[in-house]
Amino acid sequence: MKLFSLSVLYKGDPKAVLLSAAYDVSSFSFFQRTSVQEFMTFTSQLIVERSAKGNRASVKEQEYLCHVYVRNDSLAGVVIADSEYPSRVAFTLLEKVLDDFSKQVERIHWPVGSSANIHYTALDGYLSTYQNPREADPMSKVQAELDETKIILARKQNSCCAVM
Amino acid sequence: MAETSEEVAVLVQRVVKDITNAFRRNPHIDEIGLIPCPEARYNRSPIVLVENKLGVESWCVKFLLPYVHNKLILYRTRKQWLNKDELIDVTRTLLLLNPDFTTAWNMRRWVLQQLLQETSLPSFVTKGNLGTIPAERTQRLIREEMEVCGEAAGRYPSNYNAWSHRIWVLQHLAKLDIKILLDELSSTKHWASMHVSDHSGFHYRQFLLKSLTSQTVKDSSVLEQNPLRSEPAQLLPQDEAAAASTEEPRINIPHLLEKEVEFTTDLIDSYPGHETLWCHRRHVFYLQHHLSGSFPHSMTTLSTADSLVGTSSDLHHIPTGPRTAQAMEVDGLSDSSKQGYSQETKRLKRTPAPHSVGLEMEHRFIDQVLSTCRNVEQARFANAYRKWLGTLGQ
Repeated sequence: MKLFSLSVLYKGDPKAVLLSAAYDVSSFSFFQRTSVQEFMTFTSQLIVERSAKGNRASVKEQEYLCHVYVRNDSLAGVVIADSEYPSRVAFTLLEKVLDDFSKQVERIHWPVGSSANIHYTALDGYLSTYQNPREADPMSKVQAELDETKIILARKQNSCCAVM
Repeated sequence: MAETSEEVAVLVQRVVKDITNAFRRNPHIDEIGLIPCPEARYNRSPIVLVENKLGVESWCVKFLLPYVHNKLILYRTRKQWLNKDELIDVTRTLLLLNPDFTTAWNMRRWVLQQLLQETSLPSFVTKGNLGTIPAERTQRLIREEMEVCGEAAGRYPSNYNAWSHRIWVLQHLAKLDIKILLDELSSTKHWASMHVSDHSGFHYRQFLLKSLTSQTVKDSSVLEQNPLRSEPAQLLPQDEAAAASTEEPRINIPHLLEKEVEFTTDLIDSYPGHETLWCHRRHVFYLQHHLSGSFPHSMTTLSTADSLVGTSSDLHHIPTGPRTAQAMEVDGLSDSSKQGYSQETKRLKRTPAPHSVGLEMEHRFIDQVLSTCRNVEQARFANAYRKWLGTLGQ
């Protein structure tokens, strides 16, 4: 049960902008870590670009499960986990992170998203805490407002992630 | 590029030498990893050392692995000698590049057996009232092997070989020592809760519980048999007093199994949709009610238990069957005037039809899950469990 990456992005048009990210690739072999991290950065951006605003989804990519939440204000979060990690907790985490981020970083900086303007350091802490879902989220039950999300199988190049 | 078999041999020997030298230069190497690299760069060693990590460029693996594997086979078939260091390097290389490599695990077991045999020191010692416990050296070996298994299990989901090796160590090094079994049960609990889809990890817990169960029944049947021989009854209270004064852990099997049920309930609720957890629940339920004698006392039932736990490989020689059946017969023969009843026998005589009570509780659990779960898979597994319960005792 592992979390590998946690990213905050802005869903611009047409591209998604990476605002902040944290990674835990310690479970990978030392020499794979760089390329795994690159893959996760790339995948997170792609998923946000292909998700509609106001939606949550869990996308299966190879052996990973990518949970994405795009808010109506275009702020988006992606957490990449393994298939054991409970999706319910993943979405709780995303909600929390985006809420926190939007309070700490002014909206005006989001679309451009240069590292000079984005001062947000909390992601590493969140990623580390949430590695153990029960410690991080002990009382979590299914929230009423959370829609049941379907798992989308590995997407092909020319098909869009169908997000409901 | 090396093409002929001579060139390959030369290349591989150089690579193996590079690896050995790397280990000599840096005794703190804790990891070998593969560097994706499809083609060799001219005349450069594929061995890369960064911090305490040894990298092997992937292009050489197709030469390296068969060569090392072959070396091992030649050694095993006594066609070529390897000294202890070479053997360690070879098996370590193989296991680190491929944690699921069966032959390397076999080699490791073989080496452990040799280690145990070659020393003149006993591997088990008597320690006062505790009976025999593993000697210090054996305990250290056991701990090291558990660590190796733990690491290998973490690198590869449901690593059958790592967990089988762990069981083998318990059977052959630890001789199913009760304290060690109990320690393993508690120390693997957290790992299992963080790997809820790892069937091999949960199967390990099933093995531990089954071993503890059959050992308890065996011990209590030994206590039972004494009054049936011609020994005077006065000896029995003394035996009990003697048993009570030892530091041997008193295992309450029903309590252990209850705790395991609670554990699976907790995990099933927290992590919906994992079949492994439901399978585990079946095994624990079966152990609970098999123990209380709720099922027909027949050999066929017992062999069903064995096949349920799926232990068809020779690694799993769990002493069930005959001994357990014998315990049942003894229960049937004893009458209430005898003292020294086992916990289990008392339970059997005291509570009416534990089987139906247990079943009722399970059905309530299934209802609760179905009424609250929103996960399609979870519902499917719950229904399958209900169906399975319906097939029991038939």
